[in-house]
Amino acid sequence: MSVFTLPQAVKEEVLLKDLSALVAHHRQRCAPYDRILAANGYEGASSVAELPWLPVRLFKNLELKSIPDDEVFKVLTSSGTTGEVSRIYLDKAAAATQTRQLGATVQSVLGPKRLPMLLVDTKAMLKDRRSFSARGAGVLGMSTFGRDHVWALDNDGHVDLDAIRGFLEKHGDAPFLIFGFTYMVWLHLYEVARDHNLDLANGILIHSGGWKKLVDQAVSPSAFRARLAEVGLVSTHNFYGMVEQIGTIFLEGPSGGSLYCPDFADVIVRDPVTWRELPPGETGLLEVVSTLPTSYPGHVLLTEDLGVVHGIDDGDWPGKRFSVSGRLPRAEARGCSDTYREAA
Amino acid sequence: MIQFRFGSEGDLTAPVDDRLAVGDERVVDFLAKVARKLLAPAVARRHPELGSLGYFLRPAELNRAVSRMRREDAIVFPRGNVFHVPPANVDTIFVYSWALSALAGNHNVVRISSRSAGAADAILDALNEVDADPVIRRTQRMVTYGRDDVLTAALSQWADLRVIWGGDSAVEAIRKHPLRPSARDLTFPDRTSWAAISAAGWRAADPAARRAAVVGFTNDAYWFDQAACSSPRTVFLVGTETADVRAEFIELLLEVVDQRGWQVDAAMAVEKRVNAYGLAATGAVTALDFPANTVTAMSLAAVPDAPRRWIGAGAFPFAEVGSLLDLVPAMNRQDQTFSHFGFAPAELRAFALALAGRGVDRIVPFGSALTFSAIWDGYDLPHEFTRLTTVVAS
Repeated sequence: MSVFTLPQAVKEEVLLKDLSALVAHHRQRCAPYDRILAANGYEGASSVAELPWLPVRLFKNLELKSIPDDEVFKVLTSSGTTGEVSRIYLDKAAAATQTRQLGATVQSVLGPKRLPMLLVDTKAMLKDRRSFSARGAGVLGMSTFGRDHVWALDNDGHVDLDAIRGFLEKHGDAPFLIFGFTYMVWLHLYEVARDHNLDLANGILIHSGGWKKLVDQAVSPSAFRARLAEVGLVSTHNFYGMVEQIGTIFLEGPSGGSLYCPDFADVIVRDPVTWRELPPGETGLLEVVSTLPTSYPGHVLLTEDLGVVHGIDDGDWPGKRFSVSGRLPRAEARGCSDTYREAA
Repeated sequence: MIQFRFGSEGDLTAPVDDRLAVGDERVVDFLAKVARKLLAPAVARRHPELGSLGYFLRPAELNRAVSRMRREDAIVFPRGNVFHVPPANVDTIFVYSWALSALAGNHNVVRISSRSAGAADAILDALNEVDADPVIRRTQRMVTYGRDDVLTAALSQWADLRVIWGGDSAVEAIRKHPLRPSARDLTFPDRTSWAAISAAGWRAADPAARRAAVVGFTNDAYWFDQAACSSPRTVFLVGTETADVRAEFIELLLEVVDQRGWQVDAAMAVEKRVNAYGLAATGAVTALDFPANTVTAMSLAAVPDAPRRWIGAGAFPFAEVGSLLDLVPAMNRQDQTFSHFGFAPAELRAFALALAGRGVDRIVPFGSALTFSAIWDGYDLPHEFTRLTTVVAS
């Protein structure tokens, strides 16, 4: 079973129809969204790229939801670096759909059965209220796709070698799931596996969380894969996703180097000057589209991430394959009312 | 840790024996030499904004400022010790504030932000290169320091006048440190500035005059990413059926911005979208137009919806009003500069009289919004920097 099945042309036809319907759905139910589209003079799209996008940061500034207050089942938040928080409103149906589709996406590489799961993180992190929303929600969300969970780090954040060895003795002979943030895996699993000859050959790694910390250490995505392969971990899948499009993740294919879009989602790379779609090979701003957001107008979002499409219908799975190459810096005012942060 | 950028190192609040007079020759001489440095072609090419600063510091201008300090009915003296906290990112403000205070004969400590760069560094280089009377370095100090409540508190106790630029939150943060009972604050909090075009005046102007107006407006708006307190943001179109004026204005704006090479990067373009979409979401703005990343045009639903916060570099809400007087109810204490084109002097004066000091401190033509003057934010700065002694003999 896989959610990576549709060739690009077929997918775009389906997405255009479904996303156009979602535009109408949200316009009817979310007045601020309707006012934005009206102010932009939006009158319909004849391609996915023509659909009206919202800057993802809008969810930090505005309450955007397409459900009545009494149907709000869950409010997801993401903390940004500047202290602003995105608020994403889910009703019961949307919450169920996002869990189901996230499950279907990871099962494309894990298979239908829940696997024993090694979490490259510390349980203590779940108690830290400040980092909980970002890291904790990711770990908790993914942990439902595994069983017999073991934490690779103790409560102090140190590698718990006994716990890892215990896990491998019990589960290492058959496929098992490893999950963690990319830099945590690099810092706490790769080096330990190398130094202690741990056998990770049956592991399937799913990881995410940005490359900045690793690029600072001069570790590229391809080096990351190659080094992990040296310690026997050959099955690794990076993914890209955001709370503003919860349930949708773009997953790295088996041969590595590219992220793929599930059947219900896609990416568009935009030129940040003309705002037109860029052809494969050219880097621009990433727009992500997904049919999952029904309770809030997050179905067509312009991210502040830079990326590039590498090819279409020419990789491990059908559709576009792409990678994320960086982040747009935040624009800063430089006026008189730009007060000192160090003022006092 | 204190980094001394100009002046003698040492205890900033220790008593100094030196005394300067109002309009002290040694200060005038020093500032005039600094002006020559700033007006040098090499400096002016790299930092064009230093040109107007250099002009402001020429002897003729300085003497004009000194003559404003003198008066018949009292003897004028320096106010004493002045502690300046200028904004982080408008590189030249600290010099205007400090120079007028130095000219008044005060002992000054200027806290320069660690984030300041470019033009600020060029100014500090010029100050340090000039051959000055030693008294200048002993009485005029410019320092950079990180968050240091003890030092800020000590300087606040030292000061007879504390000058706080940089917006509401800076004013509030600095005001946590008490002054001596005899001292006071001169504050420059968050401000909003506007622009207005008379549709009749625009239509009557020839193409060259229209273009010159837009060139001036472009400098006003784009110089500090439209974020200086005097940068015009909302443009009021005064008249009836002004769509043609707006269309031509935007067309010229795009052209001039392009020719002058003002750039808006992708991050700023996204910032503008976020803010403009936010205004549309609340209904404050009913139409959005993004002809290029450099220019974002918005139609306001009503005059009171004109935003007072920064939208981004090159973001212009537009609203039509029948006459300047229609704007009076919407103006308040936060409003500083009102740049204009195409109005008769009598219209502007009637507007100012109707405002009656309840808002708007400066009404200036397009192109002059950022031009600093000794009267600023409603204060006569030379007077603020001096104190008066009266002598009645009998």
